[in-house]
Amino acid sequence: MDRRVVITGCSAITPIGHTKESIVHGLQAGVSGVKPLKGDDILADVLHSKVFGTIDYEIDYNFHRKFTKTMAPVSFYACKSAEVALKDSGLDDEFIKSGKIGVAFSSTHGSPTLLKTIFGSFASKDKEQYKKLNAVDYLKSMVHTTAVNITKMFGITGRVIASSTACTTSSQSIGYGYEAIRFGRQDAMLCGGADEYDTTTIAVFDNLLACSTKYNDSPELTPRPFDKNRDGLVVGEGSGTVILEEYERAKKRGAKIYGEVIGFACNNNGGDMILPNVNGITRTIELGIEDAKISPDNVDFVSAHATATKMGDVIEAQAIAAVYGDGPQVSGLKGYMGHTMGSCGAIEMILTLYMMEDGFIAPSLNLKEIDERCAMIKHTQEVMDGNIQTAAIQNFAFGGVNTCLLVRKL
Amino acid sequence: MNREDIEKKLLEILIEEFEMEDPGLDDNLREVHGFDSIDAIELLGHIELILGYDLTQEEKKLAMDIKTINDICDYVLNIHEGRS
Repeated sequence: MDRRVVITGCSAITPIGHTKESIVHGLQAGVSGVKPLKGDDILADVLHSKVFGTIDYEIDYNFHRKFTKTMAPVSFYACKSAEVALKDSGLDDEFIKSGKIGVAFSSTHGSPTLLKTIFGSFASKDKEQYKKLNAVDYLKSMVHTTAVNITKMFGITGRVIASSTACTTSSQSIGYGYEAIRFGRQDAMLCGGADEYDTTTIAVFDNLLACSTKYNDSPELTPRPFDKNRDGLVVGEGSGTVILEEYERAKKRGAKIYGEVIGFACNNNGGDMILPNVNGITRTIELGIEDAKISPDNVDFVSAHATATKMGDVIEAQAIAAVYGDGPQVSGLKGYMGHTMGSCGAIEMILTLYMMEDGFIAPSLNLKEIDERCAMIKHTQEVMDGNIQTAAIQNFAFGGVNTCLLVRKL
Repeated sequence: MNREDIEKKLLEILIEEFEMEDPGLDDNLREVHGFDSIDAIELLGHIELILGYDLTQEEKKLAMDIKTINDICDYVLNIHEGRS
């Protein structure tokens, strides 16, 4: 069985907005969602990086306690984007509860907010402290908490995939969701990822000297994908959900189709867990194109992972050049919102779908002076009119995990 | 503390903390209000606050068969009277 898979719904909660209108405005007007780091009484004061891709607007959740009792902040993001994406898809309640739709969704850590509470009780000298642990703290903090809070809220009874692979979490979700439908295991999949405000993630990158620190007084100027003056990544928060559906079914019910997922690849560098690997990344891109059964010439837009680290962007540019030459337009969308970790693949997919639908290409925000080591690919520095027909969304994670998703306009 | 006091406090908790709508004293909490094992554990924490002392593991296990608010009132009253 080899079925076609299309995207019939999507929703992103990002530092530049959570509606298509606000996000497209942000992309076209060059709005940055990177803000000064908020205090947290634990790590914020000692971190060198003082910036964060922040969601600082109100979101109307309106969730009943029977759902919120097992939800940490990350699941609020996840369930909200899932709710909006499901509504956008037009799937009816009977189908959603039929077992024919599953969920592929996760986050980097589960909920760091809850984990801090749990570890705080361990660290306490007070033996009574354990009583402050709530019976549901595990349900709120476990790695697959977002996926199962979504299944509970919407009564979804199909398969659950919770691929928690840091920065490739949600691109894997989409990829494995795509394969589940393509090979006939499910007729639809709700896919994505989310991550909440968290300073421990910053601390990890901060200690690796991978975080941006030069722009603490001007957060909107960082991160700077492919720019000569980039100085590292900016951690952010967010959520992205796409609804994947078997093509014939979507067509029959007259669903709006954002695009067709035509290929997915995932591999591992098989070595260093931190350093990017040009061979591994190049091979992922090649495998994605092979899976899509297209030529590299068919790809006219690449959403680069482009975290704005010193070496990561150079290696990625080399890999893009090796496969595509200077054919496709390339943008690093993290310039707008930082690295939203487990949600970045889904968010970047959704931003690409919005550009595809509205006929424009957003530039890499803050790319003013191209690093000459990255100059062999076709960078996007201004908002362009552009009729994207086929796009690649690529993401890479600690542990040497690489993904490439190919999506085509129908 | 008499049964009326306990009932009043329980209703306050179930409406305000558990967002229960129009709870009836003989409603099957699971069937009518979706009250589940997670809620039961959380409610025991509130009951400890009402009583002013910690429940033993054995006392907590006795609560697992409770179905209605009247059952909870009986449970709390029995423990209160047993201890005093």
